[in-house]
Amino acid sequence: MLTVILQQGINGVVVGSLYVLVALGLTLIYGVLVQINFAHADIVTLGAFTAYFVTHLFSGNYFAGIAAALIVGAILGWLVNAVIFAPLRERANELLPLIATIGVSITLQNVMLVLLGPIPYAFDTPYSNNVIRFGGIFLTMQSVLIIMMSTIAIGLLYAFMKFTILGKALRAVSQDRETAALMGINPNQLIMLAFVIASALAGMSGAMLGPVLVLTPFAGTTVIVKAFAIVIIGGFGNVEGTIIAGLIVGLIESYTTQFLDPGLIDIVVFALLLLMLAVRPTGLIAEKREENV
Amino acid sequence: MTKRTFRTLLMSAGLVGGIFAGSATAVLAADKTIKIGALFPMSGPGSYFGAQDKQGVELALEQLNKAGVNGFKFEVKYEDSACGPLPATQAVKRLLDQFKPDVVIGEECSDATLAVMPIMEQAKVPLLNAGSSAIKITDPGNPWTFRIMPNEVMQGVDIATKAYKQLNARTAVLLHENTNAGIGNANVFAETFTKLGGKILADIGFGRDVNDFTSIATRVASLGKIDVIPTYTLEGQGLKITQALAQAGVVKGGGGQAIQLGTIWLPFGFEQKAGKAAVGYIRIVQFDPTDQRDVVRKFIEAFKAKYNQDPTHLNAHAYDQVMLIADVVRRGAKDAQSIRVGLAATKNFSGVTGSVEFDKTNQNTKMDTIHYMETQPDLSWKAVK
Repeated sequence: MLTVILQQGINGVVVGSLYVLVALGLTLIYGVLVQINFAHADIVTLGAFTAYFVTHLFSGNYFAGIAAALIVGAILGWLVNAVIFAPLRERANELLPLIATIGVSITLQNVMLVLLGPIPYAFDTPYSNNVIRFGGIFLTMQSVLIIMMSTIAIGLLYAFMKFTILGKALRAVSQDRETAALMGINPNQLIMLAFVIASALAGMSGAMLGPVLVLTPFAGTTVIVKAFAIVIIGGFGNVEGTIIAGLIVGLIESYTTQFLDPGLIDIVVFALLLLMLAVRPTGLIAEKREENV
Repeated sequence: MTKRTFRTLLMSAGLVGGIFAGSATAVLAADKTIKIGALFPMSGPGSYFGAQDKQGVELALEQLNKAGVNGFKFEVKYEDSACGPLPATQAVKRLLDQFKPDVVIGEECSDATLAVMPIMEQAKVPLLNAGSSAIKITDPGNPWTFRIMPNEVMQGVDIATKAYKQLNARTAVLLHENTNAGIGNANVFAETFTKLGGKILADIGFGRDVNDFTSIATRVASLGKIDVIPTYTLEGQGLKITQALAQAGVVKGGGGQAIQLGTIWLPFGFEQKAGKAAVGYIRIVQFDPTDQRDVVRKFIEAFKAKYNQDPTHLNAHAYDQVMLIADVVRRGAKDAQSIRVGLAATKNFSGVTGSVEFDKTNQNTKMDTIHYMETQPDLSWKAVK
């Protein structure tokens, strides 16, 4: 039984790492803009497809696929913000960019549907079926890679936010945009930066998720609801909270599957979400933010 | 009246007459069309059904409309029913209001089919279904709904009996999506298998939003010796389950002992996507490409010529739906009511997937639409008799 508990713990960390990668982009944009980006899921999907095609193009070089997905995500984030969100924000109506994210999401889904078709793609990397076994535990190289890449991405993002001038400026904008502007920080440029980083993360998480997901043009939508729940449980806009919440949700999923029933996963996760909203509405770690009075 | 005025009047009369005659011809032409509404999932996780169904329908239309049937041409309007009850009811209402079909074919997913049945009954338009397996669709029977495919009881009893008697399976773990069809199929298998003396070690259901099946495979691996794993899912989740079970060393494709048993739900090409994990997988298919009947050989030849690819069972059963309607029209049907009567009177229609003859609940009674295939190490199929 100990082996099973350990195995499910590893499974939970793998899934949790994937959720964290997706949720980090969401929480970054929310932190800076106080806005939910519904198109995030579709950038994840696009990242997965980019990785799929580039990996095949480069004779199975998965790392080329990951890099391409990251770049495509970043470019798309820049483009969508520059062409759609930035002009809408200038109209000083909070609802317009929110609705626009839904529009971008539906457009991306349907463009991918037309171009790529509805039939699920089988995205096997050279690591997908390479299984490591030790003492009754099994782990694919893909899972090892997911944990490694997630840890690196999280570490880099954390270091960027904590120790670089741009990161500190981003945090300043997320805490109080007007005061940050008075200090000489250009909020629009930093919003653009947040979009680019978040979308690059989404693209990369798509590349990592692609071999795990049922890869269709609607793939990202299946993880985004969990990612939203993780952002809320972790504390809107808080990176550390998102990481902890993502891992908790991953572990809940695997232990619910083992000891209860996989059909109960959503009930358990969303019961936790409701409990968190009732007991601690700010999430696990509350983000510092200006008080609007 | 001058000659010129008379000539003008005559020309005007001729023109008006011509317009009326043209209209009459148009009305006649419109009347000589059988309108088929196609309710297929074109989006979401079941959208591969719709894409392949449409190919089968288009081939049938191309063949039928060359010469027509009893003076009738066939026209199809597609609506995306997305494999779900809500989008399906909205789609069928659009079809009925705007297209006014004589007959509707589809849906594939049982939940969606069950949701549209009352609407079809109210509109008094027959629904010809090929892909849904839930028993409730034809039990206790609905005069307006017909099903070509064997229902979940027919399939479940057959596959459980085969597992116990032919594969000598004594233990089973059930894996299924939490839908009417998933739960229903699993229940029938469990009931039959238990009655025969087998033991169900676990019944594991999951939502369609589950992506990573490693945790489920871990749980299955912890259950001890398993002989068979009947699995009821759509293609995407099916792929992930098969690969996860192989990685966990449970099924033959991963060096284990268990045999995964699958359903008609999975499309052709599944094995190639799943790779070595699928070796030893035994599943039901609704269309046997090695069948030597003339109708099958001609269908395969025409399909390859049109699409430059091999047909799947989804292509085949969509083709059969339209061909069965054409057969009913050939026997004199011309509108919704007469198509319903014609379908009910069908005797031994020989389609690409097998033969069709409905019982009093409008369920096809013929079992020759079921074929068992085992995946070989080179990922080809070997028929399991």
